[in-house]
Amino acid sequence: MAQTVTAERDQWEDLTESGDARQVRGKLDWTDFLFFVVLSIGAAYALFAYSESMDIYEKWILVGTVPAVVWLGWLWRPLRTYMIITGVSALFAIWLYSGNLARADENFFLQYFFSSQAAILWMCLLFLIATVCYWAGFVSNTAAWLGTTLAWAATYAGSVGLLVRWREGHLLGPDLGHIPVSNLYEVFVLFAIVTSLFYLYYERRYATRALGGFVMLVITSIVIFLLWYSLTRGAHEIEPLVPALDSWWMKLHVPTNFIGYGTFSLAAMVGFAYLVKENGETTSYKKLAPLFILGVLLAAEPMVFRTDGLSATWMLYFGIGAVLIGTILAFRRPIAKRLPKFEVLDDIMYRAIAIGFAFFTVATILGALWAADAWGAYWQWDPKETWALIVWLNYAAWLHLRLMKGMRGTIAAYWALIGLLITGFAFLGVNMFLSGLHSYGEL
Amino acid sequence: MRVVTVSQDSQLTARAPAAKVSLSSLFELIGSMRFAISLLVIICVASVIGTVIPQNRADSTYIDQFGPFWFEVLDKFSVWSIYNSIWFIVIMAFLVISTSICLTRNTPKMLKDMRSFREHVRGSSLRAFHHKVELATPRDLEDSNKAVQTWLKDQGYALKVREEPDGRLIAAKRGSGNRFGYIAAHASVVLICIGGLLDSELPVRAQIWFFGKAPIVENMLIADVPQSGRLSVDNPSFRANLFVPEGGTRANAVVSIGDAALVQPLPFQLTLNRFIVDYYSTGMPSRFASEVTVQDPDTGETFDRTIEVNYPLRYKGVTVYQSSFDDGGSKIDLLAYPLTGTQPGPFEVSKRVGESMQLPIGSTGREIQLEVTGLRPINVEDLSDGIPPRATVLEHVASVAGTAAGRRERNLQNLGPSVEYRIIDDSGQAQQFHNYMMPTMLDGDYVILAGVAIDNTEEFRYLRIPADEAATAQEFLNLRAALADPQMRQMAAARFAQNNVPAGMDGAALEISARRALDTYADSGLEGLSQFLENSVPADELSRAADVIVRLLGSTMSELRAATRERAGMAPLDPNEPQNIRWVQLSVAALSDLRFYPAPIIFSMQSFDLVQASVFQVSRAPGMWMVYLGCLLLTIGIFAMFYVRDRRIWVWLKKEPGQDSTQVLAAMTSQKRTLDFNREFERFELALGRLNKRKE
Repeated sequence: MAQTVTAERDQWEDLTESGDARQVRGKLDWTDFLFFVVLSIGAAYALFAYSESMDIYEKWILVGTVPAVVWLGWLWRPLRTYMIITGVSALFAIWLYSGNLARADENFFLQYFFSSQAAILWMCLLFLIATVCYWAGFVSNTAAWLGTTLAWAATYAGSVGLLVRWREGHLLGPDLGHIPVSNLYEVFVLFAIVTSLFYLYYERRYATRALGGFVMLVITSIVIFLLWYSLTRGAHEIEPLVPALDSWWMKLHVPTNFIGYGTFSLAAMVGFAYLVKENGETTSYKKLAPLFILGVLLAAEPMVFRTDGLSATWMLYFGIGAVLIGTILAFRRPIAKRLPKFEVLDDIMYRAIAIGFAFFTVATILGALWAADAWGAYWQWDPKETWALIVWLNYAAWLHLRLMKGMRGTIAAYWALIGLLITGFAFLGVNMFLSGLHSYGEL
Repeated sequence: MRVVTVSQDSQLTARAPAAKVSLSSLFELIGSMRFAISLLVIICVASVIGTVIPQNRADSTYIDQFGPFWFEVLDKFSVWSIYNSIWFIVIMAFLVISTSICLTRNTPKMLKDMRSFREHVRGSSLRAFHHKVELATPRDLEDSNKAVQTWLKDQGYALKVREEPDGRLIAAKRGSGNRFGYIAAHASVVLICIGGLLDSELPVRAQIWFFGKAPIVENMLIADVPQSGRLSVDNPSFRANLFVPEGGTRANAVVSIGDAALVQPLPFQLTLNRFIVDYYSTGMPSRFASEVTVQDPDTGETFDRTIEVNYPLRYKGVTVYQSSFDDGGSKIDLLAYPLTGTQPGPFEVSKRVGESMQLPIGSTGREIQLEVTGLRPINVEDLSDGIPPRATVLEHVASVAGTAAGRRERNLQNLGPSVEYRIIDDSGQAQQFHNYMMPTMLDGDYVILAGVAIDNTEEFRYLRIPADEAATAQEFLNLRAALADPQMRQMAAARFAQNNVPAGMDGAALEISARRALDTYADSGLEGLSQFLENSVPADELSRAADVIVRLLGSTMSELRAATRERAGMAPLDPNEPQNIRWVQLSVAALSDLRFYPAPIIFSMQSFDLVQASVFQVSRAPGMWMVYLGCLLLTIGIFAMFYVRDRRIWVWLKKEPGQDSTQVLAAMTSQKRTLDFNREFERFELALGRLNKRKE
């Protein structure tokens, strides 16, 4: 079977699994060294120029980021290219601003591409087109290739948007700026980026684009939520931090958490693909029904956590979601044929959950450490904390059964899907329904 | 999850017939993964309940919500404080025991396994492995051996070689740290749970159960609390609240246990010098900080510190956190205006926040109780309408493109200080009020906002009282008193008739109309007037009649105002100036609304002396470091489990009898057979294949 993966790869594209010329990841080479030097110079400049804006912990985080970024770039070369282009673009935008927020309305590049909201809107648009392309990819390889390209472009646009947003916050007022991971809007952008990056990694590694359509469904719903949230609620506006959030811990806790959320949703969608493939030849509605219901539930999740009733827009969204899931199930046979082997799907699911679990653990621990400073107790059964524990226990049980009892296949896939429902509630539902210390985002 | 319980059942029933459940099988059950996962499921469910039902509220809240019967039932399971309930703690304890058993049972095996190369495996048994390679190489035994060992060492394997009469077995392993990960992760669960229990309410509760501590239920001064209500200064584990007003010094905190409390003496004294709130330009608070002086009674040492959210004070094993803030007893001077009778008031009342007093209502002999509940020195409010105008899709997109700076129309204004108070009438009904001190510009008029809580919620509905030249409500309330006075009404009607009667006509009819309109209005407000019109005017003339009567009322009220000003010794005004017409219009509306005002008296804040207070959380958490150590172990453990991949390789080299060539039989295995492992095996296979080539 291992040989077949390699064989498929040979037909697929003339590239190695790491996405560059390296057969295996070797030692760091001179480009890594150069990258390190450039980043170090940048960090050193920031340390001197903005020394007063950072406390000692933030300085250490900045210093620690340099080797971490170099390491990530070594781990996966395309990521390094992406980081370089993103960084350069963000610097270009900052240079265009030259300290004056009003230039967003005067400068062509800022107005249409590089101001944070323009970039984030581009991200939304590109992700939507990428989703369509990936699905078209089931009949056309070119479309699938386009899907990959657009997903990269969207990821790039989103991350430039966040970086520029960070700067815009500081331009708004000296005390207003903060890392853009402080509210529901900002973390949703991060969520889309992280999910997409992990997907792109697995796409390259397992030489298949057939999963793109599935994973992009999650990202599409993130995008729709983002658009709705900014268009109707003005959620994109930069708000100052509440005192409890004004801490260096945020820089560690939130991104780590979203690596967890991103990979959990990736795993769930791969699980969905697994079940579609498994039911490729099924004609019994009984077997398809649970899959359909779960799919629709997941699609509906961002909309049910609202306190002010359901608007027509959301009912429309719900309807389209149901139709899409139904369509996927209707075309299950051709889709199943194009999907990679069960072993590959199972392997991606396991890897994604393992990474997610590891990072979610770290994020929860970081959260506990932060809570100890901010609220006076590292654990006080706040609803968000409790739900984080439930999510953690859920995936811990999944991993136990897989590693110790050899759980595979259908149950693992269904469980991964249900896992996303639970995660979704922990992430959105708790903020909406259960009041607590974590209620930063409101719908 | 269901799979687990099913298999657990089947195992239990399978063993049950084999005589009594012995101690060792119970031990095994408790140490099993099924048992642990069942416990985890129960913890999950309990946790969900705990997040859905708000915890630690007053009993009455729950009785309201669930009814007395279900309250009793749920109360048996301590659903109101689920995370501190006995059964929850017992489950946690079982989880600790279960994990410990699992750990003690498996750790020695694993450690042994980690060290072992399993070099005693029989060469021929390697054929039974799923991942195996078998080939013959033209190289001789020594040469093959060297090549294989070199490759294995290059790949980071540790090896052990067993010599055989006609061959050699190389046993290699890599990534044994994976097993360490398992041990670390499970040990961490035990550590975290024990640490967590140490820092929970349990130690304080244990002191109540076993050391005769008795929580205080009624209100009393800290000095009066008996020894049984006090915990020791050296109490190793507690979480308490500490309220310190500005300028105050405290050395005792309060530990809440349900509805009761215990006093926790601190090993130092804390003086609050100043409490600071900084604001962003949007009016949102940006920082809460307390400047304190800490005094150590043992050493006499004193030092100053600033305690902030996210920056606690740690001293003598006690951590002091900025938890919230409150009023520390600000002194407030109020002006009280009666809303009945013909006396306009005011009389002065001076109270501190938190104090209450009885006030007589006029000469009725009845009393109300006034409780000053709060002072807000700053009120930044968004006075724009929250609803954005409808826009086209394109405008919409344009509005969210560009920078993320706020573009919403905002009209943020600091409305100045305000006072909150509660009035409890003689039947025990309480009503909350929120009155601003200074007038606010609303829709072009200066009005004083007097808020009434809607259905005892946090939301207020505001009465708009037009402000007078001195920016107070005095003139409006004078007008109210005048309106309540029949003589004044009569005088106003007479003056109105006198000033408005057309030349050569008798003013008496006009006077009667004006008098009647004014009386109806004074009795039953604008509603009464419209009712009167509906009853006495035909429908088709209604709008014209209403118009007439509104003008009539306006002019009469204007006369009443003039008379009132005269009586109060104020300068006369030109009644035809727009601002004066507007003032009277606002007064007419407000006086009509005043009939629904749920109190016989209204208070306006004249001046205040702000005293703030800080609420700190103080705690000693002996389990904290244990928990942190557990967290560290957990992180290391999880990463080791997932990312240290264990592999074992055996290569059995056997001399071909009578020839130079060697037979090679190799097998590879791993705990986790992922696709990565398959690839690694592929590489291994390729490497071994190279043995086929003659040595150059």
